Amino acid sequence: MRPFEYARPETLAQAIALLEHEGGRARVLAGGTDLVIRLRDGTYEPAVVIDIKRIPELAPAIAEVDGLVRISGGTVMTDVADSALMQRSFPALVDAARVVGSVQIRNRATLAGNICNASPAADTAPALLVYDATVVCFGPGEERRIPLDDFFVRSGVTALAPAELVTAIELPLPSGRLGAAFQRRTRRRGHDLASVTVAVAIHDRGEVRLAFGSLGPRPLLLVGRVGDEADLIARAVAAAAPSPTSMRAGPEYRLAMLGVLARRALDAASASLRGAAA
Amino acid sequence: MIPINLRLNGELRAISVEPHHTLLDVLRDDLDLTGTKECCLVGECGACTVRLNGRIVDSCLVLAVEADGGEVETVESLADPSDRSALSPLQQAFLSHGAVQCGFCIPGQLMAADDLLRHVAHPTRPEIEEGLAGNLCRCGCYYQIIDAVEATAAGAAGEQK
Amino acid sequence: MSIGDSAPRGGGRERVTGQQLYVADIHLPNELHVKLVTLPCARGRIGAIDASRALALPGTHMVFSAADLPQPVPRFGPQFTDRPVIAVGETKYHGDPVAAVAAETRDAAEQAARLVRVEYEELPAVTTIAAARVMNAPLVQDPSLRPNDALAGTNVLREHAVAWGDMDAATAEAEAVVENTYHFPMVTHFAIEPHVFMAAPDGDGVRVWTTIQHPFWLQRVLAGVLRMPLAKVRIIAPDPGGAFGGKQHAKYEPLVAFMALKAQRPVRLDLTLEETFQAVRRTEAEVRVRTGLRRDGRLVFQDVDANYLIGAYADIADRVVGKGSYIGCGPYNYEAGRVVARSVLSHTVPSTAMRGFGNPQVNWAVESNLTEAALAVDMDPVELRLKNLARKGDPFIPFDTPCDGDWEQAAKRAAELIGWDKPKPEGRGRGFALGIKSGPTTGLSYAMVRIQADGSALVYCGTQDLGQGARTVLAQICANELGLALERVTMVMGDTGVVPYDQQTSASRSTVLMGNAVVAACKQVREQLGGADLETALGRLGGEVIGVGQARKEADPDHPLGGSAAFFEFNATAVELSVDEDTGDITIHRHVTVSDVGKAINRLQVKMQDEGAAIMGLGHTLMEHYIWDDAGRIRNLGAIDYRIPTSMDLPAEMVSDMIENGDGPGPYGAKGVSEVALLAVAAAVGAAVRDATGVVIRDLPLSPERVWTALQEREATLAK
Repeated sequence: MRPFEYARPETLAQAIALLEHEGGRARVLAGGTDLVIRLRDGTYEPAVVIDIKRIPELAPAIAEVDGLVRISGGTVMTDVADSALMQRSFPALVDAARVVGSVQIRNRATLAGNICNASPAADTAPALLVYDATVVCFGPGEERRIPLDDFFVRSGVTALAPAELVTAIELPLPSGRLGAAFQRRTRRRGHDLASVTVAVAIHDRGEVRLAFGSLGPRPLLLVGRVGDEADLIARAVAAAAPSPTSMRAGPEYRLAMLGVLARRALDAASASLRGAAA
Repeated sequence: MIPINLRLNGELRAISVEPHHTLLDVLRDDLDLTGTKECCLVGECGACTVRLNGRIVDSCLVLAVEADGGEVETVESLADPSDRSALSPLQQAFLSHGAVQCGFCIPGQLMAADDLLRHVAHPTRPEIEEGLAGNLCRCGCYYQIIDAVEATAAGAAGEQK
Repeated sequence: MSIGDSAPRGGGRERVTGQQLYVADIHLPNELHVKLVTLPCARGRIGAIDASRALALPGTHMVFSAADLPQPVPRFGPQFTDRPVIAVGETKYHGDPVAAVAAETRDAAEQAARLVRVEYEELPAVTTIAAARVMNAPLVQDPSLRPNDALAGTNVLREHAVAWGDMDAATAEAEAVVENTYHFPMVTHFAIEPHVFMAAPDGDGVRVWTTIQHPFWLQRVLAGVLRMPLAKVRIIAPDPGGAFGGKQHAKYEPLVAFMALKAQRPVRLDLTLEETFQAVRRTEAEVRVRTGLRRDGRLVFQDVDANYLIGAYADIADRVVGKGSYIGCGPYNYEAGRVVARSVLSHTVPSTAMRGFGNPQVNWAVESNLTEAALAVDMDPVELRLKNLARKGDPFIPFDTPCDGDWEQAAKRAAELIGWDKPKPEGRGRGFALGIKSGPTTGLSYAMVRIQADGSALVYCGTQDLGQGARTVLAQICANELGLALERVTMVMGDTGVVPYDQQTSASRSTVLMGNAVVAACKQVREQLGGADLETALGRLGGEVIGVGQARKEADPDHPLGGSAAFFEFNATAVELSVDEDTGDITIHRHVTVSDVGKAINRLQVKMQDEGAAIMGLGHTLMEHYIWDDAGRIRNLGAIDYRIPTSMDLPAEMVSDMIENGDGPGPYGAKGVSEVALLAVAAAVGAAVRDATGVVIRDLPLSPERVWTALQEREATLAK
């Protein structure tokens, strides 16, 4: 690894000031499960790495506040998967968090980091999208909230401004009942990067939300109605743009799997909605 | 160089580390704890698994500086703390169930298994498979490793099949 | 503990406490760290090497390249002396080092390596069988390296042929002929321990630490390139952390030795996992099989034509091709058999030995074709095999060792364990296949046993413990021969300066050959004791009793393989699986593997080896393969995109068993084990997929995508 300096700000203000000062010479370190790989392979060559894990506002926390569940920026996948609140209210996200890498990876990888990397294959992205997540960002200006669907721009690029950090992800507690499911395609049962990710949420009012990833430059969200599932799947397939050169799977297979997984996720979400009704 | 303090296998240590050196680098090269192994360096194989602040991690993906003020436990800490010459039931079970072939993955497997058993006293086989999924074994000892973990959980002292 | 018991693994305690020292854990005072410099192409003409920026860094000690070697650059290789110590003139595969930096620290070496500037011109490269065999294809090897060889102007290094019977007559006689072509992918060993090479000047000689399987063979190679007496070259070889054939032969030991002698300091090179993928792999193959049989299921002929894609340097790959293909027709009686196999050079990573040694490739083809042949004559695939299986004493390869086991017993046991004759659960398929591999064809192992004054024993063996447990088994043999408790036997291994000669650790030979040497050494001890107790025998001066033994299998220059097989490894594999037809996912419900082992010296270790081999076989069957780009570079270096089985990828149930008839040539009737359970995995799984879905797939791995694509084609065919 090329050498770099290490900074460990103790407050949010310090972190932002540092980011402003260093600009493109700095990289933010949260869980490190993506960053350290890139530091080692030379994809990133920062002059300084800013470790944000000592900032109190980012300390791992999942809490319900005014009808929202707030997941702080430092919360790791294991915390999300183990949280009774998350299991109860956002099971599809829990399912996704559970398959991000191995136990060792999940103990470090942050939910915020997963979305900030903006890999189209981010396992948690589809579930966050169907659960209508909002990204809370803090920077030199005011704190702002960006709907997740507006947060993803394309592979590796988000709407974060320079010197901005994600301090939390907020999920609205569903009003009414929700059935949700997560599905993905990998090359083996053991942990793997997905070649297709799909999440579905069906609201008892009849709205169906379908999000998919790994089939284009960013995860996509589509909304439809119960009864129009076939149309929703067709729209998803039409919007998908699988890479022709991916090592993980070929485009024809991926498009077919999008259809298969979407169907399975819809069935599972329906079943869970009916179960919730019981 | 950045000075850091950590509790390493129960002992307080004060050392200086380069920011770009990983916890794995420092354990093996600076602290002479070569039990933790280096293999894939991308967080896939688990050969470098250690416990950091109560959770198992791939030490190849942790910068040493991140361990400042923390607690690190490596495979060298698994033996009976009151008698370092005595193996823990888990270590003993690995041996008696034939879970050790070349042995290179074993420190990582032990750390992952030890962690699993701290969280789930009686894991099912699928839970063991999932708990150890981040630890590759090319010799293919998986069944024996899973048997050893199951036996340890059951309190068996190494029944041979 | 007696023979057969599952004695505790020698060196086990060290491994579970983290105290076992692998080569990477050993540091020498004042050592320099080496980092390799490679070119980002499959083949490059090497121009100027500008090391100035690298040398300007504090900490850089030297930038070593071909110019720093004796001229002409020394070459080495176990079969052909074709490999230069470091690339000279051109690099021949993606990952072929062109320079090596030595520096005070790992950081400094990495940094300096990045600053070495190499001018190069990318040259046309061949990375597939088809491309390599085209008329006027770019030649991988300089033809001047093999003068008087008719094939020197081609990329075929060698063509092997073995045949018996009258193929034309047999072809006329056959009532059904099934012909297909199969493909076996390029895969790599992926031992969890990457290779490490260290060297240091040692007086007027050199000492080398390495993860090697064959320390004495390496010693010979090094003595040759360094022009030193054997007695001045010492190889220290700690137990490797997994090898599977990928650590058999010299790779970078010659390079680090020259660098250490130049620097007059110890020098170490620790490969990254990615670099191991660029150092060793299995041979890829395309195999055409033509099977002829009668309608009653009697096999008439087997006609195999195989092209094996070896790498840019031969390593031991041609032997892999020759020996692996030789027995390619399988453990059956035929009226006529023919196997023609070619080692085809390519601008790719040098292929080397890998568990199975050329057999998995031809087994995939021939066993799959036998299943097709059975179905072509409406015969049960197990019944077809049993009908034609060689019986003990049958010269199934006319000029070689006859069948040496009750193979039918193993085959029937596997069929029984999978429930072959029982009804299948809905939606499931079953597959069955047999595997056979020749043991060593020559061998020489010495062992020395030193009985100490208190009766405890030191046993000196040049065998390497790669994880197969040689350390345990050889100690058990000694303990049994001399009536000692196992705890009173200490094994001494892994140092050519200390242990006597052992030819090599490969071909599943060590229990048999080194085991017999240990038995012989113990016999010599007993002879010296002459029935007296130890104290009496030692007399007033005390001391020790030393016994030396050897086991030798002579070469036979008239034999196509240089010698007949010392024994055969035989295995029957059966699987039951289901296929998710929407996704192509295969779920293996039960995997049965039964091997004919002669005598299990350590039953648990045999089970571990067989199940481990089966899991490794599932790797290339379900998920492993190199992915190349159009420019001949490997795309999936490293663990993220090269997938091997994890604990979550196991068959729901693995049932292993062993047949012990005491009919092997080793101690107590033992045969070798540990490779054969890998061989028939792919064919068994492929047959089961066919049974479950009707699709036949002749390429590996059977990834979900490949299976799904085949299912789509089936649908398209059915729709017509």
